[in-house]
Amino acid sequence: MLDTFEILTTSGVVLWSRSFSHVNPAIINNFIADVFIEEKAAAAGVKDTKSAANNPAYKADQHTLRWSFSKELGVIFVAVYRSLLHLSWVDKLVDNLKTIFVDLYGEQLQKPNTTVVRCEKFDDYFDQQLRELESKATTKAAQPGGTAFIDEESISGNLGDEPPLPPGLKHRNKVHDGAQDRPSTAESTPVATPNQSRPSTPGGNHLVVGKTGPMGKVSRRARKMQINSSATASSGDEGPGRKGKKAPKKGRKWDADGFADEDDGVQLDYSVTGKSATSDSEAEATGRSTVVEEIDSATWGSKTSKGQFVLRDLDDEVHGILSSAQSKNSDNAPTGIVNTGLSSINSLFRNIVGGKTLTKEDLAKPMDGMEKHLIEKNVAREAAVRLREGVEKELLGVKTGSFESIDTRIKKAMEASLTKMLTPTSSLDLLREIDAVTRPSTLSGRKPRPFVMSIVGVNGVGKSTNLSKICFFLLQNKYKVLIAAGDTFRSGAVEQLKVHVRNLKELTEREGGQVDIFEKGYGGDAASVAKDAVKEAANEGYDVVLIDTAGRRHNDQRLMSSLEKFAKFAQPDKILMVGEALVGSDSVAQARNFNSSFGPGRNLDGFIISKCDTVGDMVGTLVSIVHATNVPVLFVGVGQHYSDIRNFSVRWAVEKLLST
Amino acid sequence: MEGLKNTLEYLLTPSAPIFIVGALIVLLVPILVHFFVVRTTPYTTLPTILLVGPSGAGKTSLLTLVERGDKTVPTHTSQTPQPVELTVSAGGAVQSFRETAKEDAPGMHKKFLLMDTPGHGKLRKFAMDRVNTQDSLKGIMFVLDAAALDENLPATGSYLYDVLLALQKRMGAGKTSRGPSSIHVLIAANKSDLFTALPVSLVKSNLEAELGRIRKSKSKGLLDSGVGADDVGNEESDNWLGTYGAEKFSFSQMREFDLEVDIVGGSVLEGKVDKWWKWISARV
Ligand SMILES: Nc1nc2c(ncn2[C@@H]2O[C@H](COP(=O)(O)OP(=O)(O)OP(=O)(O)O)[C@@H](O)[C@H]2O)c(=O)[nH]1
Ligand SMILES: [Mg+2]
Repeated sequence: MLDTFEILTTSGVVLWSRSFSHVNPAIINNFIADVFIEEKAAAAGVKDTKSAANNPAYKADQHTLRWSFSKELGVIFVAVYRSLLHLSWVDKLVDNLKTIFVDLYGEQLQKPNTTVVRCEKFDDYFDQQLRELESKATTKAAQPGGTAFIDEESISGNLGDEPPLPPGLKHRNKVHDGAQDRPSTAESTPVATPNQSRPSTPGGNHLVVGKTGPMGKVSRRARKMQINSSATASSGDEGPGRKGKKAPKKGRKWDADGFADEDDGVQLDYSVTGKSATSDSEAEATGRSTVVEEIDSATWGSKTSKGQFVLRDLDDEVHGILSSAQSKNSDNAPTGIVNTGLSSINSLFRNIVGGKTLTKEDLAKPMDGMEKHLIEKNVAREAAVRLREGVEKELLGVKTGSFESIDTRIKKAMEASLTKMLTPTSSLDLLREIDAVTRPSTLSGRKPRPFVMSIVGVNGVGKSTNLSKICFFLLQNKYKVLIAAGDTFRSGAVEQLKVHVRNLKELTEREGGQVDIFEKGYGGDAASVAKDAVKEAANEGYDVVLIDTAGRRHNDQRLMSSLEKFAKFAQPDKILMVGEALVGSDSVAQARNFNSSFGPGRNLDGFIISKCDTVGDMVGTLVSIVHATNVPVLFVGVGQHYSDIRNFSVRWAVEKLLST
Repeated sequence: MEGLKNTLEYLLTPSAPIFIVGALIVLLVPILVHFFVVRTTPYTTLPTILLVGPSGAGKTSLLTLVERGDKTVPTHTSQTPQPVELTVSAGGAVQSFRETAKEDAPGMHKKFLLMDTPGHGKLRKFAMDRVNTQDSLKGIMFVLDAAALDENLPATGSYLYDVLLALQKRMGAGKTSRGPSSIHVLIAANKSDLFTALPVSLVKSNLEAELGRIRKSKSKGLLDSGVGADDVGNEESDNWLGTYGAEKFSFSQMREFDLEVDIVGGSVLEGKVDKWWKWISARV
């Protein structure tokens, strides 16, 4: 059973919702923050309008969220249900409801300067869809003869982290995306053999083949859950009439075309039409082929109403909407070459004057240029491509402003994209955070303790140097700092640190800075040294502990794995990684590996990018690193002196990146 | 080929129809272009009140409340700014926003835009751009969650600091050249319905203390990348919020820059926003 279904705008207003059990609003808030705002890993490229089946499910706190997004209207459709229940039809529900909602209220949604959308009536449409899709799922399970076994498998085959799509959805997607990017997978549906003999359904082989196609091996447990889920589903109190009179009707329908196994009203009707003429298995065949051939949507509608089964008007309307959307989607590929001459003049004109609606072709060339520009600025190809795709999707179908050329529009969008990517979710005020830990307000009830910060990175990027720079800055602000020599590996490392400490002492003595070194020589366990240093600092009243660590190659398994223990022992408040701005360093792989080396639940807190003074405008490394890890750049090193460290300014970086 | 030649000849021979057509083209094209441009340019001259504040403070809830007049709708994290066109009626005795917001309320009617912005850290550019440059900006409502201020004080404070400093700089620039006359800031301490909500006086003192701390640590903090070491001198006083050199920060220091800061409590959930509405009415 569904927990909740919400339709909300990108501006945050819930337009319509239906809740079956209470869901913490934080779940959807987190979903928005992770998927849409921070664009975490898998969800990149959300700006596109896709079917729910193609959007990775978002899992949180025992809940699974399936969702779809209408880019033009800025509306998000999201269904929330318990992860335990593997509801395979939810994708379909999200997709169908999106189609219906956009069809019914698209116009209202385009009105500027208001958030009011009158959509009370949507209740009925929702009930209809929920009833239809859910009953299909349960009818399947309850079908006599069709052993519950097979059905369950076929349903739960659609689950898992990377759900193989049910055939019905593939069908739809294929039509949906038409000539676009997604290669059709419908044909390649593998034939699953073991279930082919289904006892009481003669001629049902088609069905089983199609149905169990994408299913993988499913564990006993999953099956069991499925049983539970269907049990819950049928006992839930969803739409009226689902059980009473409606059920037999549906049942009959399903006797006829149950084999089609298309979770789709459209398919259903095809089969119904087919059934009157032919045998069951042929019906199945017609059903399938007709979809592929895109029959005229208007005709099937009327056929249905004349047909054997009297559907409610609402059903008709819903199916009409769904199928016309489908045929529209498959139609709009090439619209003929008639007006191209005129339209190209028009587009030329609009390109100068503005007010042009951007198409993929318009964007292709300038976007190539932009991508190249970014790569020339030393942005990794991977990151440049993602940025490009993001901007492209954002601009597709957008109108340029008056007297705004495509190039300026792209530059503007890219600037926004870069700014969003580089801006940290919460800004860092280091001194303020240190104060909060070392001198907590009496209200908070926390005990004062030293602030622990550690610095990691590969060999020779300037870990110790940058640690000293930060130390210098802290000393100027009169903090008492203990530097822990955590590099117990490379000979000379401790001595080098001692030199730094001596220099720093000399430099800041007059200003009242106080700095000492904590070292245990070589060969010891770095994690234990760090832990001891923190303890010592707490006893001696230091404000800040800065832990230097051994440089390690990011693909050195042994050394990398010791970082996890280190993080556990030292419990640093901040783990910063030093990376180089230099051209050609494999900073992206480094950043990724380091970011994932501290064990579950612990990531890097930020980057210090060193040697920024040597690269001029080519600051692309910054972008590549942030793109790869979603960890913000906090400081940049800009020279050889202790004072040559700066707060990272997003505006500065974006200006450099876009300058020519 | 022959036809083309003939046409060309005809076109190039001076004659009455050709002159007329030519004159029409010359006259009409600019007019058409003008209409085209005008039609595609959205009008943005309505006075604007900007809603800013950290995520979850209740900005979007407030927006939906004043638009609908009687109820809020559920909301989630915003990603895009959202303007809403509203009407205030001045003159008539102002009782509650519900009445003055009505189309048929007595008194003078004024349209304005209430602009919601996302509070998420990565999306503050939408708000800050408007704080920095929007000409039609008449006032800024900084909405905060008074019931969770304890935990959120650093985050709320730093956003408020950014907004006030940006305004201060803008007003400062305005002294020399054409700038906004004055922009008022209302700190709306929302969620007074919750029992954890701090009273307005405490909200004020907490914020002032926090802004003072931030200003101090900023002044001692590292420079931003891109700022050269040479232009440090004049930067210092420019980047100091409020009275330069003052030990403690208080909102009244913002008067030096023609910035009036008020703090008023209220609750969107209970519809207690009349005082805020009154403040808005006074601005537009
Ligand atoms: N108790 C209480 N809750 C409120 C009040 N006002 C808003 N809320 C709740 O606070 C939550 C967040 O409100 P939003 O309006 O979405 O917050 P926002 O400021 O727009 O947040 P962003 O869009 O993320 O910047 C919602 O769940 C509201 O119901 C109030 O006066 N009292
Ligand atoms: Mg909001």
